[in-house]
Amino acid sequence: MSQTQPLSEPAVTVRTQTASGIVAMVIGAGLIATLLSLPFWAEQGTIRSVVELCCYIAIAQMWNLLAGYAGLVSVGQQAFSGVAAYVTFILAQNFGINPYIAIVLSLAAPAILAVPVYGLLHRLDGPYFAIGTWVVAEVVRLITTNVGYVNAGAGMSLRVMTQFSAQERAIGICILCALMLIATVGGSYWLLRSRYGLALTAMRDNPVSAASQGVNVGRLRFLIFVAAAVGTGLAGSIYFSSQLRITPPAAYGAEWASIAIFIVMIGGIGSIEGVLIGAMIFYFADQWFGEYGATYLVVLGVLTLFVALYLRGGLWGVLTRVVDAPWFPTRRRLIE
Amino acid sequence: MQWLDGLIQGVLLGGLYAQYALGMALMFGVMRIVNLTHGDLMILLALIGISLSSALGIGPWMVLVLLVPLAAAIGWLLQRAVLNKVVSEDPLPSLIATFGLSVALQNAMLQVWSADTRSLPGGGIEQASWQIGSIYIGVLPVIVLVAAICLTGGLSQLMSHTRFGRALRASAADVEAAAMTGVNPKTVYALATAIAVGVLGFAAVFQGLRSTVAPADGAAQLIYAFEAVIIGGMGSVWGAFLGAMVLGISQSIGFRIDPGFGILAGHLVFLLVLAVRPQGIFGRN
Repeated sequence: MSQTQPLSEPAVTVRTQTASGIVAMVIGAGLIATLLSLPFWAEQGTIRSVVELCCYIAIAQMWNLLAGYAGLVSVGQQAFSGVAAYVTFILAQNFGINPYIAIVLSLAAPAILAVPVYGLLHRLDGPYFAIGTWVVAEVVRLITTNVGYVNAGAGMSLRVMTQFSAQERAIGICILCALMLIATVGGSYWLLRSRYGLALTAMRDNPVSAASQGVNVGRLRFLIFVAAAVGTGLAGSIYFSSQLRITPPAAYGAEWASIAIFIVMIGGIGSIEGVLIGAMIFYFADQWFGEYGATYLVVLGVLTLFVALYLRGGLWGVLTRVVDAPWFPTRRRLIE
Repeated sequence: MQWLDGLIQGVLLGGLYAQYALGMALMFGVMRIVNLTHGDLMILLALIGISLSSALGIGPWMVLVLLVPLAAAIGWLLQRAVLNKVVSEDPLPSLIATFGLSVALQNAMLQVWSADTRSLPGGGIEQASWQIGSIYIGVLPVIVLVAAICLTGGLSQLMSHTRFGRALRASAADVEAAAMTGVNPKTVYALATAIAVGVLGFAAVFQGLRSTVAPADGAAQLIYAFEAVIIGGMGSVWGAFLGAMVLGISQSIGFRIDPGFGILAGHLVFLLVLAVRPQGIFGRN
C-alpha cells in the first residue's frame, strides 16, 4: 500500500485579524475622518500642530521600517525630506506649478537620490552605514547652501500660497496629511501582512537565516531604502509647505534624525503601534516641556540611552507583555 | 605656489584630524562599535580644558597634563557604564545608546558653557610661524602634526608589541576564543576606550589652541574622524593617519578653489573613495 502525498497545498485557514485589530481599525478610520474635518472647526494653531504630529508619525514609521525591519540604521534621512521639500518649493515658486501637485511631483527627487546613495553606502556595515548617511545629508546641505538658484543659505519662501485662503490651505494640507498617514502607516501595515511581510519579519529577526530561506535580503533592503526615502520626502514636503518657509539648516538639521530615533525607540522598535505611542509621547512632551529647551533635550537624550540599555522593546514591548492586543495584527494563526 | 601652500596646510590640518581619527580606529578595530559621542567628548574635554586654564591660570601644556588622564578616566567610565552593556553583533543598541548620550551631552554643555565659541589661550604660540619663501608655516600646526605622528606610532607599537596589544587583537578577532585563553574582554575593552578617549585629550587641547570650540561642534569632528578611518582603510592606525592626511589635503585644496567648497570637497573625496575603493586606500583585499 503506497501512501499518496497531496500535490496541491493542504487546505488550511490562516487568520491574521483579531478583535483588537478591528477595534483599532475603526478608531483609525475615525481619526482620519477627524483629521479631514479639522479645517472646518479647528483653529489655525491646532491644525498646524496636528500637521506636525502627522509628519513626525510618517518620518518615524519610515525610520522604523529601515532600522526595525531592514536593519539599515540611518541618521541621515533629513537628506530626503529636505530634498523633496526644496523641490516642492522650486516647482511651485519658480515654475508656477500648483503647490499641492508640486508636493506629489517632488517625491521623484528622494527616489532618484536614494538609488546612488544606497549603491554607495550599502558597502558599509552596521554603524558605519549610519554615519555614511549622515555624510550624505551634510553633502546635500552644503550643496544647497552653495547654490544661488535656491537662494543659498538664505532659504526660500512659498509666496505662491497667498493665492489660497487660510481655510483652502488647511483643507489641502489636511487631505495630504491623511494620504501621507494612509501611505506610510497603512502602507507599512499592508506590506507586513503581504508575502513580503514574512520576509521582512524574518529579516528583522535574523538576516542570515532569512537569506538561507530564500529571502533576497539585498533586494528587499534596497526597496525598503527607496520606499523609506519617498515616505520621508513626503513628510518633508508637507511639513515645509505648511511652514511656508525653508532654509538649509532647518531642512537638513540632525534634529529630524533625533526625533525619529526618539519616537521609535521610546515607543518600541519593530512595531507600528510603538511608533504611534512614541509619536504621541514626543508630541505632548514637546508641547509641555519644549519651552525648557536644552534641559528638555538632555532628558530626551538620557531617556533614549536608558531605553537602549534596559528596555529594548520600548513601551509597546512592555505593554504586549501585560496584554496581547495588537492594533495592527500581523501574526498568522492556523485555524484548522 | 598657492597649491603647494594648500598641500602643506592640508597636511598640517590632517595632523589634527588624525588625532580625532585614532581613537575611532582603535575602538572600531576592537569592539566594532561606533561611539557617536566621539566628537562631543572631544568638545567636552576642550571646554573643561579652557575652564581649567582660566580658573587655575595654567598654560596649555599643563592643561594637557591634567586633561589626558581625565579623558582616559572618562573613556574607562563610558565603557564600563554604557558601552559594555551594548557590545554585540547587532549595531543598533550601541548606536542608539551613544546617539542618546550625544544629544544629552551636547545640550548639557550648552547649558554649562552657553553657545559661545571659545579658545584656549596659548601664550603666543598660536601666532608663531616660520617663513619659507612665500609660505608661512605655523609653529603650532607643526607641533600638532608631530604629536599626531608620535601618537600614531605609539599606538601602532602598543598594538603589535605588548601583551595588551595582543589581547586587544585577539578580542577583536574572536571574543569568545580570546576569553578562553585567559583574556578578560571587558577589561581589554575598558582599557581600549580609555586609550581612545585619552587620545582625544590631546586633540581637545590642540583643537582649543588652533581654532575655536562650541558645544554644537562635535558632530563635525565625528564625521571627519569617521571619514579619515574609511578613506584610510579600516583595521590599522596608520591607515587612519593617512586617511586624515587625505581628508586634510582635500579640504585645504577645496578651500582654495572656493571658500564654500572646502568641507564639501572632503566629503566628496570620501564618497569617491567609497565608490571606487570601498576597502579604503590602504586597506587590504
